[in-house]
Amino acid sequence: MPGYYDIDDIIMEEEAVSVVFHVGANGVGLLDPGSETNCVEKGAKIDLPFWLSQELCRRRAVSIIVPPCFNQKMKKDVQADAACVDLGTRYPYFYEFGCKIFPLVGDKSIGPFLRHTFASRYKEMLSKSHTASINAIPKFVLRLSKEEYQMFDAAKSSMVEYKKWRVSHLGLTKSSLLGHKRKTDSQLSPSS
Amino acid sequence: MAGQSDPSLSIFSAPEVEFLAEDEMIEIVPNIRMDALNLLCGDFGPFLPQIACKVPLWLAVALKKRGKCSIRTPDWMSVEKLTQVLEAERESPREFQPLPFHYVEISRLLLDHAHDDIPEVYMVRSLIEDIRNVRFHKVESGLETISGRTHAVKLKNLSAMEVNIVRPFMVRVLQAFYKHDSPEMVQQVDTSANKRPQVVDRGPRPAFGKIWYIATAHRTP
Repeated sequence: MPGYYDIDDIIMEEEAVSVVFHVGANGVGLLDPGSETNCVEKGAKIDLPFWLSQELCRRRAVSIIVPPCFNQKMKKDVQADAACVDLGTRYPYFYEFGCKIFPLVGDKSIGPFLRHTFASRYKEMLSKSHTASINAIPKFVLRLSKEEYQMFDAAKSSMVEYKKWRVSHLGLTKSSLLGHKRKTDSQLSPSS
Repeated sequence: MAGQSDPSLSIFSAPEVEFLAEDEMIEIVPNIRMDALNLLCGDFGPFLPQIACKVPLWLAVALKKRGKCSIRTPDWMSVEKLTQVLEAERESPREFQPLPFHYVEISRLLLDHAHDDIPEVYMVRSLIEDIRNVRFHKVESGLETISGRTHAVKLKNLSAMEVNIVRPFMVRVLQAFYKHDSPEMVQQVDTSANKRPQVVDRGPRPAFGKIWYIATAHRTP
């Protein structure tokens, strides 16, 4: 479970969600950039950060609209080819966000949808993460969400550590001769 | 364990696994005369020239480094045995061949420190490398079958180092599957919840009744 000081959790809760106000609220005009008075009217639709809408939703002051990352279009994208959906740039905290918002919106399909998405993306991660090259970042990594990236990184670093261990005792050090390239004549005497 | 480098996910680093492997017993042939060693982990010796005796791997390596003994290669590290194992590994796509639990670490320690005691050392080295690659590929294809209903994976005859490599990834994956498969997350999709409230029947379905009430409370404050 994420802790109070977990930075990922904090960033995830900054995510904006659209809410509909059920009650009028005075003195909070700054929440609604379009309002002319200093209050939010009943029925207004406003984007709020998740941490605020969560609390307001518990108090029945607002209701949360299902965010675009769980709408029908996204579901179709995942159905078509889950591994190709770009979560990394669009919804970096897709799974955590889904788990948190799921009890607050009435849409029960989000839970199975999250699981389906993860299960279908897991295979690609499994086949690629242990064999990933040490230096270059493969293209598919950019598509991974933050949670998936942590898994990928764990696999990669354990493999890197193993490879390091395997050669550490061999005493195969690079010869100092190999490091020096012979300088060409032009470098020795630069023409000015 | 006190020696774990990352206690939060219970991960051993590769040198830590090697440390554990050094307690395995191995046969050496000393070329010195020395009294028995009475250590906390047991009594070893006495050491007489050309008389084989069993010692832990760490002691064997320490003696070997000083040129006081030669190490007898274990049976499983012979070229014939390893060739058999490699063939069997390639033939059975699901099963792992029984090898010592620490075969990766032991073979590396012996190949590094006692390569002059191993017959056909290059062959042995490449065979072990091949076996490890074949087995690791098998591990990966075995783990592909994991889905939401998996809570544990049984991998018979897997060795310490192989487990250690996949552990960080697998622990996280299983945690994620467990989270997404928990009963709160996967309630049966209640189609009526998506329709208008008045269409919902209020029949005897206590399991959904409570949830439904919360859902409607938002709509009609």
